[in-house]
Amino acid sequence: MAKKNRDQEIKLSASLEDYLETILQLTRAKPVARIKDIARARDVKAGSVSAAMKRLESLGLIRYERNEYIELTVEGARRAQKVLSRHLVLTSFFEEILDMPADEAEEEACAMEHHLSDAAMDKFVRFFEFLRTCPGAPSNFLELFHGCRRLDGEAECGFHCSDPACIDDEWQKNRTTINALEHGQEGTIMHVGTAPAIRQRLLDMGILPGVKVNMERRAPGGDPVWIRIEGYQLSLRREEAEGVAVEV
Amino acid sequence: MIVIAGQPNAGKTSLFNALTGSNRNVGNYPGVTVERREGKYRFEGKRYDVVDLPGTYSLSSFSPEERVAQKELLDHTADVVVVVVDSTALTRSLVLLAQVIHLGANTVLALNMSDEAHAAGQFLDLDLMEELLGCPVVETEAHKRVGAQKLKSVIARAAEQPGEPRPPVLGERLSKALMSIESMLANTSVKHEQRSWVACKLLLSDREFTPLVESQGEGGFEAVAQAAVLRKQIEEQTGEDISVFVAERYHGFAHGLVTETIQQRPRDDARVLSDAVDRVLVHRVLGLPFFLAVMYAIFWVTFTVGEYPMGWIENGFAFLADLVSANWPDSTAPELRSLVLDGVIAGVGGVVVFLPNIVLLFFGLALLEDTGYMARAAFLMDRLMHRFGLHGKSFLPMLTGFGCTVPGIMATRTLENERDRLVTMLVLPLMSCGARLPIWMLLVPAFFAPSMRAPMLGAIYLFGVILALSLALLLRKTVLSGEEAPFVMELPPYRVPTLRAMLIKMMERSWLYVRKAGTVILGISILMWFVTSYPKADARDIDQQIAADQVTHQEGRDSIAATLNLKESFAGRLGVAIEPVFKPLGFDWKLVTGMIGSFAAKEVFVAQMGIVHSLGESGGRSESLREDLARNYSSLAGASLILFLLIATPCMATVAVTRRESGKWKWAALQFFGLTVLAYIISLVVYQGGLLLGFG
Ligand SMILES: Nc1nc2c(ncn2[C@@H]2O[C@H](COP(=O)(O)OP(=O)(O)O)[C@@H](O)[C@H]2O)c(=O)[nH]1
Ligand SMILES: [Mg+2]
Repeated sequence: MAKKNRDQEIKLSASLEDYLETILQLTRAKPVARIKDIARARDVKAGSVSAAMKRLESLGLIRYERNEYIELTVEGARRAQKVLSRHLVLTSFFEEILDMPADEAEEEACAMEHHLSDAAMDKFVRFFEFLRTCPGAPSNFLELFHGCRRLDGEAECGFHCSDPACIDDEWQKNRTTINALEHGQEGTIMHVGTAPAIRQRLLDMGILPGVKVNMERRAPGGDPVWIRIEGYQLSLRREEAEGVAVEV
Repeated sequence: MIVIAGQPNAGKTSLFNALTGSNRNVGNYPGVTVERREGKYRFEGKRYDVVDLPGTYSLSSFSPEERVAQKELLDHTADVVVVVVDSTALTRSLVLLAQVIHLGANTVLALNMSDEAHAAGQFLDLDLMEELLGCPVVETEAHKRVGAQKLKSVIARAAEQPGEPRPPVLGERLSKALMSIESMLANTSVKHEQRSWVACKLLLSDREFTPLVESQGEGGFEAVAQAAVLRKQIEEQTGEDISVFVAERYHGFAHGLVTETIQQRPRDDARVLSDAVDRVLVHRVLGLPFFLAVMYAIFWVTFTVGEYPMGWIENGFAFLADLVSANWPDSTAPELRSLVLDGVIAGVGGVVVFLPNIVLLFFGLALLEDTGYMARAAFLMDRLMHRFGLHGKSFLPMLTGFGCTVPGIMATRTLENERDRLVTMLVLPLMSCGARLPIWMLLVPAFFAPSMRAPMLGAIYLFGVILALSLALLLRKTVLSGEEAPFVMELPPYRVPTLRAMLIKMMERSWLYVRKAGTVILGISILMWFVTSYPKADARDIDQQIAADQVTHQEGRDSIAATLNLKESFAGRLGVAIEPVFKPLGFDWKLVTGMIGSFAAKEVFVAQMGIVHSLGESGGRSESLREDLARNYSSLAGASLILFLLIATPCMATVAVTRRESGKWKWAALQFFGLTVLAYIISLVVYQGGLLLGFG
């Protein structure tokens, strides 16, 4: 079900996206956000905040606790994270590559973050990453970049960069999720990237970076999966297993 | 007071039993202890009170059972906290120990499952471990009560002279951060020994602690602000989420402890046998058929083997009733005689009859739990349950619901997510419970040909299940929409269950049922007896009717009197009054009156049918009542009736326990009215549709 939503994601207005982003930032500092915190952070009236909150709640992106505390749902956190990471990427692009002053960079990023399509944004991020991580690239790097196609997630760039950051691409190749492990395959956990509530449970169960996991089996239909870590056995749903990155 | 804490399935309850000698429910299934249990024992002339907490993987407050446990530990009412760990999963288990020590509790460590650990070739340096932890360490084998004596003496010493557990070593970065937050907590009322723990919770921006500390004024605010700054710093420096970072530190401590104290590592093949069994039983293709076969076997045994003792019990009650009526002449205190015979003996007898079914079903479930197969069943079933918005673990309560809805609803506590729990609870009455079995036993043969009976009985159960699942989905999409709980479940190795543990579990749950018979049902039986006996019909009317029917023999007169009396009674009047509402479903006032009785307890319906059909309450299972029903109602009305009884109005005990477990009348009311309305609609559609199609 979550899958389907993801594919046909409803388009949010720029201001709603901004609200999500604000809530995410606020809830990082404190466990919950309040209407008045949001109003202060965005410099708007509390009334318009609550209207926006109602809308976000009806979209299932936030939860309103006791009509005052506001909390992101998993989907909401995902959307907010997306907006925020766009924001960060764009800001640093304007700042680092285009050499703009920080406040202007912020402003430009704010204006731009809502309007790029996912596909355009992906391209943008890739380009930016390329510029950032390949300082040793040849002077015709722009041409090379244009000629660089991605086939099944692998870069085919026609040259090999000697910079260690680029060699990371090799590492990326070995990186997958618990869910993608094959029967009997072993991997080392690199990152636990699920929603906070689930993450805590996974951590409690010993699913931590650096720990080895083995795929034992799957239930009929492939879900849930059954894994072995440090001598004991656990089952996880596919979605949860997809959130845990491993290196094989 | 002694508190026993530990992760699910570590053997807490077994240890509790070993200490207190009491017989609590143990199970090889994570999450079997759903309530806090208390007991006591004497040691060297002193009395010790023991509390068995529900399992918690950590102290991060996740499921309601974990919340119960955390609260108990944080309140610091315990003199000694015994942390029970599963020695075969040491690192993970010791994380909880580290947290309990960090919390400042007077801790004793029980290394349980030592038999399995030794068999796997794992040996530890206990002295070194004691030294490193600063708290006593005892190896135990709880289910066989090995090590209990030693543990008792260690507890006695710890209670007298609290040890000084060393705070867990959590790495420089975290320790520094905690210390800096702690120093700000000095200006608050947070107790000295708890400061480090609270600081850690603030760092994790815990939802309970943050507002609590903030309410402590200036110092509290400073501490919270400082925690926010440090959290950001740590996240930036390590590139990890704070929760991951802290978990890693605890884990690191536990790992280090194991590495230092382990003398001999366990062999890799320790679980070989269990794994081999799993390869067959949880096979991708064979797993489900095997599971269905197991379920079928359990139900087969429950119902066929159960027949025999049911017969004995029935005879026993019949004998008792005969004995009373023979020795208690009609003329002395006829009211009281009627109360004893028709109210108490008939009412309670009608419930106790199912005891064999319940006992056998519970034994089957106990077998599944104790061997560890139940966790596999949840694993196999999760995908299906998840489709309907439920959780693999919803499956256990629903299965229990076939025995009795009440313990089924109580078992929903093993579900972590509030919404999952509510959905499961609300649809549970649709699992046809043991108390409805006698109704089916009465009605199915009355309305259906012999060859159709077994398939009909199966269809009733199946229909209940399908309806429960559809309703669950509906609830999940409407009233109870929202996030789902994770399905992160431990799969313990298969263990050979001890007969003792299974018997205990079976007895305990059956006792719950008997107690219901002795209390709620007894009370309601008396109440129902009253509303069905009073006021009496006019003697003249009875005589008139007898004259009109030209009945001469005494039996015929009595039964006419009984019927008229019931019709005149409160229940009968209510039945007559609301008869028009149920007419479109094919019911008359007699059935409606019976259904009023069935709210008290489902099985009361059968006894009521006996009375309204002038056969006396003992006629419940008799052929003549079936014949009478078949004569008076069409098969279509019978089907409509069966559906209504399956779906509508959960019994009073169910409503009460739903209220208790959900904490709100709202949910109990939704369950009660929602199911009744649904039943009405379905029966209406079936009956009217059937009439249109020319059945009946
Ligand atoms: N082999 C072995 N099994 C144990 C031991 N202690 C408990 N068990 C079994 O482990 C399972 C879980 O025990 P239980 O007491 O219900 O655990 P709890 O969930 O922590 O209360 C049961 O099947 C027990 O019989 C032990 O020391 N050794
Ligand atoms: Mg227990």
